[in-house]
Amino acid sequence: MSGGNAKRRGGPPPAPASNPSKRFQAGSQNPQTPQQPLNGVAAEEDMMDEDVFLEETLLRYEEDEEAVLLLRDEAFSSRLSRWRRPALSLSHLSGCESIVFQQLEIDYVIGESHKELLPNSSGPAAILRIFGVTREGHSVCCHVHGFEPYFYISCPVGMGPDDISRFHQTLEGRMRESNRNSNVARFIKRVELVQKKSIMYYQKHSSQPFLKIVVALPTMVASCRGILERGITIDGTGSKNFLTYESNILFALRFMIDCNIVGGNWIEISAGKYKKAIKSMSYCQLELDCLYSELISHAPEGEYSKMAPFRILSFDIECAGRKGLFPEPTHDPVIQQIANLVTLQGDDHPFIQNVMTLKSCSPIVGVDVMSFDTEREVLLAWRDFVREIDPDIIIGYNICKFDLPYLIERAEALKIGEFPILGRIRNSRVRVRDTTFSSRLQYGVRESKEVKVEGRVQFDLLQAMQRDYKLSSYSLNSVSAHFLGEQKEDVHHSIISDLQNGNAETRRRLAVYCLKDAYLPQRLLDKLMYIYNYVEMARVTGVPISFLLARGQSIKVLSQLLRKAKQKNLVIPNIKGQGSGQETFEGATVLEAKTGFYEKPIATLDFASLYPSIMMAYNLCYCTLVTAEDARRLNLPAESINKTPSGEVFVKSELQKGILPEILEELLAARKRAKADLKEAKDPFEKAVLDGRQLALKISANSVYGFTGATIGQLPCLEISSSVTSYGRQMIEHTKKLVEEKFTISGGYDRNAEVVYGDTDSVMVQFGEPTVEAAMKLGREAAEYITGTFIKPIRLEFEKVYYPYLLISKKRYAGLYWTKPDTFDKMDTKGIETVRRDNCLLVKNLVNECLHKILIDQDVPGAVQYVKNTISDLLMNRVDLSLLVITKGLTKTGDDYAVKAAHVELAERMRKRDAATAPNVGDRVPYVIIKAAKGAKAYEKSEDPIYVLENNIPIDPQYYLENQMSKPLLRIFEPILKNASKELLHGSHTRSVSISTPSNSGIMKFAKKQLSCLGCKAVIGNAEQTLCSHCKGREAEIYCKMVANVSELEMLFGRLWTQCQECQGSLHQDVLCTSRDCPIFYRRKKAQKDMAEAKMQLDRWNF
Amino acid sequence: MKVDVEMGGGSPKLLERKQAVYRNLDERYEIHCETYKGQQYSHIYFTRLHYMRNLLYSLVPKWKPNLPVNTVLGLEEEKECIIVGTIYKHMKLKPSILDEYSKERSKVPLVKPHNFVHPDDHLILEDESGRVKLAGSLLDPSAFVTGIVVALHGKETSEGKFFVLDMLEAGLPPQIEQPPSSTEDKYVVFVSGLSIGSSTFNPLQFQLLVDHITGHLGDENEQTFASQIVHFIIAGNSVQILQGLLNGQTIAPRDQSTLTEPIKELDILLNQLAAAMPVDIMPGPSDPANFSLPQQPLNRCLFPGASAYNTFISCTNPHQFELDDIQFLGTSGQNIDDLFKYSEAKNKLEFMERTLRWRHLVPTAPNTLGCYPFTDKDPFLIESCPHVYFVGNQDKYETTLLRGSDNQSVRLICIPKFCETGVAVMLNLRNLECHSLSFSTGLNV
Repeated sequence: MSGGNAKRRGGPPPAPASNPSKRFQAGSQNPQTPQQPLNGVAAEEDMMDEDVFLEETLLRYEEDEEAVLLLRDEAFSSRLSRWRRPALSLSHLSGCESIVFQQLEIDYVIGESHKELLPNSSGPAAILRIFGVTREGHSVCCHVHGFEPYFYISCPVGMGPDDISRFHQTLEGRMRESNRNSNVARFIKRVELVQKKSIMYYQKHSSQPFLKIVVALPTMVASCRGILERGITIDGTGSKNFLTYESNILFALRFMIDCNIVGGNWIEISAGKYKKAIKSMSYCQLELDCLYSELISHAPEGEYSKMAPFRILSFDIECAGRKGLFPEPTHDPVIQQIANLVTLQGDDHPFIQNVMTLKSCSPIVGVDVMSFDTEREVLLAWRDFVREIDPDIIIGYNICKFDLPYLIERAEALKIGEFPILGRIRNSRVRVRDTTFSSRLQYGVRESKEVKVEGRVQFDLLQAMQRDYKLSSYSLNSVSAHFLGEQKEDVHHSIISDLQNGNAETRRRLAVYCLKDAYLPQRLLDKLMYIYNYVEMARVTGVPISFLLARGQSIKVLSQLLRKAKQKNLVIPNIKGQGSGQETFEGATVLEAKTGFYEKPIATLDFASLYPSIMMAYNLCYCTLVTAEDARRLNLPAESINKTPSGEVFVKSELQKGILPEILEELLAARKRAKADLKEAKDPFEKAVLDGRQLALKISANSVYGFTGATIGQLPCLEISSSVTSYGRQMIEHTKKLVEEKFTISGGYDRNAEVVYGDTDSVMVQFGEPTVEAAMKLGREAAEYITGTFIKPIRLEFEKVYYPYLLISKKRYAGLYWTKPDTFDKMDTKGIETVRRDNCLLVKNLVNECLHKILIDQDVPGAVQYVKNTISDLLMNRVDLSLLVITKGLTKTGDDYAVKAAHVELAERMRKRDAATAPNVGDRVPYVIIKAAKGAKAYEKSEDPIYVLENNIPIDPQYYLENQMSKPLLRIFEPILKNASKELLHGSHTRSVSISTPSNSGIMKFAKKQLSCLGCKAVIGNAEQTLCSHCKGREAEIYCKMVANVSELEMLFGRLWTQCQECQGSLHQDVLCTSRDCPIFYRRKKAQKDMAEAKMQLDRWNF
Repeated sequence: MKVDVEMGGGSPKLLERKQAVYRNLDERYEIHCETYKGQQYSHIYFTRLHYMRNLLYSLVPKWKPNLPVNTVLGLEEEKECIIVGTIYKHMKLKPSILDEYSKERSKVPLVKPHNFVHPDDHLILEDESGRVKLAGSLLDPSAFVTGIVVALHGKETSEGKFFVLDMLEAGLPPQIEQPPSSTEDKYVVFVSGLSIGSSTFNPLQFQLLVDHITGHLGDENEQTFASQIVHFIIAGNSVQILQGLLNGQTIAPRDQSTLTEPIKELDILLNQLAAAMPVDIMPGPSDPANFSLPQQPLNRCLFPGASAYNTFISCTNPHQFELDDIQFLGTSGQNIDDLFKYSEAKNKLEFMERTLRWRHLVPTAPNTLGCYPFTDKDPFLIESCPHVYFVGNQDKYETTLLRGSDNQSVRLICIPKFCETGVAVMLNLRNLECHSLSFSTGLNV
């Protein structure tokens, strides 16, 4: 079917509302809010609320969106209607039933306060919107009214009720001053006197007066905080700067904390407590209004730990690029294809698979193919599709940075103003924002585009991968090879245009490819249990799911801290940005590594959750910390305080129980429970939930320590983090001392124990026992004995034995990992270059093979021989080129790099050769190092592997030997071998070298080709076809060798090319894939070329 | 050729070796000027599908006259139809070259199972327009392999699968009528897997065979019998060359002889045979020949002695010929061995029968068995049914007479490996009956 005969709606497309003239009548602040500069600071997290005025993003024209839908023809809309959500039941429609749903997304808008629910207030107010899904699969949008933004300041001493109202007026005045263009009736709604206590420092009194300042709109919190922090003059008391409390909490999170809602939990609103929306604002099936106090939040347990059947949309787009350039929405024509897959949470197959193409496309089995004549129709069809199937979660690969922004910018370039209505709010446009996101804790600085699709969670698998896994490459191809064990066909974007410009068949080819790209993210999502793990993480930490991907670690801890503090009537000061980021404290200890190759079992003693248990054992918390000044003043008895090795003082739990230890205890107890339940669980979905939960709990417990140490974080407290590490160091030392004292011959044991190495939370002990079993027994004994000397809950556990064990240096070791005495579990390596991305495959294979030989076969001479053979092969030019390819990402163009880099130079050179296939910014550039003129710079020696293959260019084996192989090899062999460097890198095997003659070099153009003897390479006349007279006698032997070579190549050729057929999923079509990430890509090319040559030589025998 | 027989003092009786008219039909398997120019394997599948589809379409009206014929693309949900396409078997255990790269080295070295069939395997039907997963219990995936072309009757399910209700294979190809059986016995001898140069090769055993059939052994009866042998066929794996010697490195002079020693030995034996009767030698996987099918003839330079005789014929694998108008077709065993790895049957003869019914000698090429990337033909299609179909290098001697629905009758022979069993196979051209010749050098026999 084609959209060509679609009825088009008359009239020009409405212009995008570029000038939002129709703001809320009550007005708003100046767009340049005073806090703007803060945004630019490399803050750990962007913790700013951004008020969105309900009508600001709406389209200007007040047309019913039904008209927009009518744009499509009837066939199309009937096709869409098949996929609608299940229809509402009568009881739902009548509203006489309580509504229970799992919420996925919470945000807020500024709108007029609800007249019926809140008869006493008027004017603009923040309305929270909760989006979710019921058990039956109905979508819900709940508008929550009456929740007001607020924060605290400590009440100046001696402030009476009159002073408070004066303070109120003054503050109101200052607010009006700094928000002059705004004509909100009242900025500060109320100032209340409350009894609270600051979380910081141990205090003897139970509470003190605080002022709770309630403001009209969420952004006013920040603006008001600014005024108070800079200082305010109150009549009678003079100018005063205030420290604010809880003034940097996002409004939605504040709401969740106060209503006890955690991310992804179930919410119930009893019948009669809600009002059905009179004029529906959203595309959700159920739309309600209620007061925040009427929400019932269910803890995620039992029935409420399940997942609602969310709709997950996975999509991918293909777009045309101009020759040689990566597609850009403003210039590049077309969005050609959009593939969509919709899956219900819990199902293993998508229930919708379709692809929308520009121009005709042949059908695909099991896939709904929709073709359209213009790009406008494709875009609008997709919009309608999204709206009709109403996904709760949108996933894809790099959708946040590429696909979604591209679609939106493209629609803008085409002036399709009505396109970006993808969210759940009627007529509300999607907003695109550039954000810079940096997190010191984990992820480094990243630039990204934020596309806000209201009411739908976006889950970009690329972001999730980058966040959760350290991989050598994050291309969809290599990620799926890693996790799914599949290679993905990769079509170069220059071919994409050709396919699109071909016929219906070639476009079908492209569509299949596009579908696969939409399918793989879904499979990754399933395989890695992302939905379960992330929902559980949201539930455990209490933040909305969307925060987990878009924000850093510390908000998760902050959310838990705030919840706990609220229970304890504590408030958290806003001391953000206190540090310069420069302060450091002594980190974890690493015992000196006694490097070597240990052929006796090494028992490993590990501290179970070391840092959390230290915090619990010593009651380390913000509220138990005693400042040096207080310590003198309060004169606390010595038995009720702990002085940490780093010199800080904390009170013991008898005086004041810390809330961090309490959070940790709960997390660990919950984890224990989850693990116990996991053992009992039968249902696979329940198992998935519980496993996700225990993982989330573990990660959360471990991130608490990091939160206190993040100097530019939300609430840094170096006293705590440095105390934790100092205790950690002490414990490692203590363990070492005890082990070496107790397990000695004089102590009644057979041998003296020796600690060979210790890291952050583990100690490696050689008890000297020759068998794994004996080492395990002693390991257990030691763990139990030493645990007894620690304060609970610090526990030393015996977990595993390494045997044999190769200790290379600090943080670098390898060994076989045994947990039971009869067989080992796996080979375990740390810090050894097997995954570093700028190493070629040869190094990785070599290191792996050597470790395998040394550890598993215990064959050191074999490993040495293997290294020598490999080096010899390298020097003799017998190594498969694909093993030598080094890949680097091209992040900027050549001019932007300060130092010349090999891959950048190569990209430039390739652009000169052929601009169409040269790598662009964002691509990964594969290259090999070739032999070049003496004195050539390293960056001049890079070359495109294909070019090398085609032209027989010699590679530079010395480079590989010295810059790639030597370091990792010496690291491994130095503890084992004397003179490792001499033996391995300069032995007799390095004497013979073979270098191929390039076929395109200058001199070869003048050379005349003549037949040479196949046996001895002597030049022969044309009369003798194959061999010179001297070699004639060895005819059979030489033939055998050649035919064996051909035979081997033929076998390789067959295996490589059929593998590629397999990956592309078709036998009857030629392989197009040019995935340079695929390990066999170059090999396949080379096999083809070698085969042709070998065949030609062999043919010389058939005279 | 005459055999002089000296009988203990008696008058010498002159036995004359019988002859048969031989015609070599290997031409279709020969690769002359074709080279690797970047062609891929899709062409083979394409030509195969094209040929087989025409054939199957011609059979469909008889099979299911009332059903529409469709392509994979044109399938409509719940509508019964017939589609013709190439089977693709998705196999869980199928080894992949990518495993060398992507999988972490496991602690146990990968044990190669002899058979990669797994209960989770499933079939997919593909034509130029697309592929569709097959559902239903009619087809047992373990009996099929990738690369065969069949017609299926069924309908598309709501999940986008094709539910198979019935299947049609091409069946045995038509056969040229067998020549009227003559009255005289003429024998063809088959051997395979001599493996000269391997540890299991026993020189005496083969010499016994040679002496026996050339008439140098036995009494008059046996010699008379020997004189009735008209052709000798060696179906692959005549020599075994130590792989270590062929790793591309320069061979030390003392190893040069070890490399060619088995070939020289073979040449001597062939010399004796060729002096007595026509000998066809086919290359096999362990011979000094190319790897992918069709394997090209062993180069004559390997056999300076035997190649002097015009009775010495170095032929291709697969090998096709005619003796006294009887059609022979055979391979050195790779096709059946590969089927054995990727599918299941009760014995090797059943595999052989299947290849005939599928009308394809090597259905698994190129998927799992190497083959030359032909662009314009698929030489392995069996267009006419042979009278004798043999495969070499099998574990044991098996034979049967297969009868087709159109009165075809085919003698199927599995030739065992001689070096392991000491068995050669004799076929009587008169009635296509078969028996084994067993040689043993053990003292107890």
